[in-house]
Amino acid sequence: MRDVAIIGCGMTKFGRSPGDLMDILAEASLRAIDDAGVGERDFDSVYVGNMLAGELFHQTAIASALVDRINLIPAAAERIENGPAAGASAVKNGFLAVASGASDLVLVVGGEKMTGVDTDTITDLISTMNHPTAEYAHGVTMPAMAALLTRLYMERYGLTERHLAMVAVKNHANGMKNPYAQLHKLCTIEGAMSSVMVSDPLRLYYCCPIGDGAAAVVLCPLEKAKEFTDKPIRIAGFGHATDTHTLQERDDPAVLKSVKIAAERAFKMAKLAPKDIDVAELHDAFEILEIAESEDVGFFKKGEGHLAVEKGVTALDGKLPINPSGGLKAKGHPVGATGVAQIVELVWQLRGEAGERQVKDPKRALACNFGGFGNNTLIHILERTG
Amino acid sequence: MQEKMMGFKCKKCGRVMYPKHERCLGCKGTEFEEVGLGDECTLITYTKLYALPEGIEMPPLTLGIVDFGGNVRALGQIMTDEPKIGMKLRPVWGKLRKIGEKEIFGFKFEPAKKS
Repeated sequence: MRDVAIIGCGMTKFGRSPGDLMDILAEASLRAIDDAGVGERDFDSVYVGNMLAGELFHQTAIASALVDRINLIPAAAERIENGPAAGASAVKNGFLAVASGASDLVLVVGGEKMTGVDTDTITDLISTMNHPTAEYAHGVTMPAMAALLTRLYMERYGLTERHLAMVAVKNHANGMKNPYAQLHKLCTIEGAMSSVMVSDPLRLYYCCPIGDGAAAVVLCPLEKAKEFTDKPIRIAGFGHATDTHTLQERDDPAVLKSVKIAAERAFKMAKLAPKDIDVAELHDAFEILEIAESEDVGFFKKGEGHLAVEKGVTALDGKLPINPSGGLKAKGHPVGATGVAQIVELVWQLRGEAGERQVKDPKRALACNFGGFGNNTLIHILERTG
Repeated sequence: MQEKMMGFKCKKCGRVMYPKHERCLGCKGTEFEEVGLGDECTLITYTKLYALPEGIEMPPLTLGIVDFGGNVRALGQIMTDEPKIGMKLRPVWGKLRKIGEKEIFGFKFEPAKKS
């Protein structure tokens, strides 16, 4: 396999966008192509991560529409759907296309348009990821799933609501420094803990918002990357793993086994260990997930993730900053965009281009994009070269 | 109406599963027999959902995961306003919700009566 580099990246500002899905996919793609400095060169393949275009906006085969819109014809193009992990799945496919030697220049873009549709419809569509008869039929939504996991944590590990609020406060503070973030609003522990109850014990501030956005990266073989940039970022490894469809059937419902296995695979491929990571973007669609993933990825012992938050270890100036972008909580979570946007943030961090939210001199970074309610997870490990 | 909540027991390794799989989660066996999950289960986690899905009328909707023992668990609606971890429940057949015009039925969980 060839070494693969990210040579360009770009994204749209997350939040309410006046444009439609194709507008934001095109905007992010052109920014990444421009950032890569590849000019009018032909691309070999294009991967478009998206979850809901057909269901929400009555448009299918969006990859064909995108290559036409921004003239990447005749590049091979396809849409990748893997729930909220569609973005990282698209990156993985792009990585494999370059690593295998099949493609020399690849565009990966993830995007979702979610505003303009009522919240109940979105919540319902996302809930259909759950098992149709054993979960969805009973009325369970994603916030309810996260609440069930949160209470298991409270019972078993002594997690308190205050810890969830601390994650929200940290991520809102980081989001304030990110011009691409959906929410530019400081939040306090008291404010979070008095926000409206969504699914007890989860309040509004422990859940990510709904918004529009797209993010894109350009990949090429590492050996050719120097033609385009003096700061290529190497994809050192990826891991992808699944678990039972239902939460209740997991060996231990409090363990995100797909995260564990995906992380083990990614670290093995990268020949690295959790201690080698300097900054991470984790999938905090709900604040409990940042805590649980930080443990199951291997950064902290099981049941001690909330203590790391308490001690400031995961803060922007901590030993292992998590979600410097603001995470899904503050940056936003246009589902198909998220996995790519996490990688865009980490590329900026590794290049030293993250502005006010720049983490001090990171060399290696990890992204965790989580699909279903933990039944389909991708991890990518990125590394600065040179 | 179903009388008993059923699981699926792998004829090869004996593992009981709910819901149904075409291959056993343990040994990948493909033959199963239906077995009753029993009349008593224990609540291991719950939530009161205020942002209601379609077809549920009054908030909150209490949802939980119950354990039948032997690592067999189910998710469902919990029929009490005062759920407590560790409380004993039993499955009862009833209407779950309405999706579109369709009424959905299944097992919910109510507190086991004290004998």
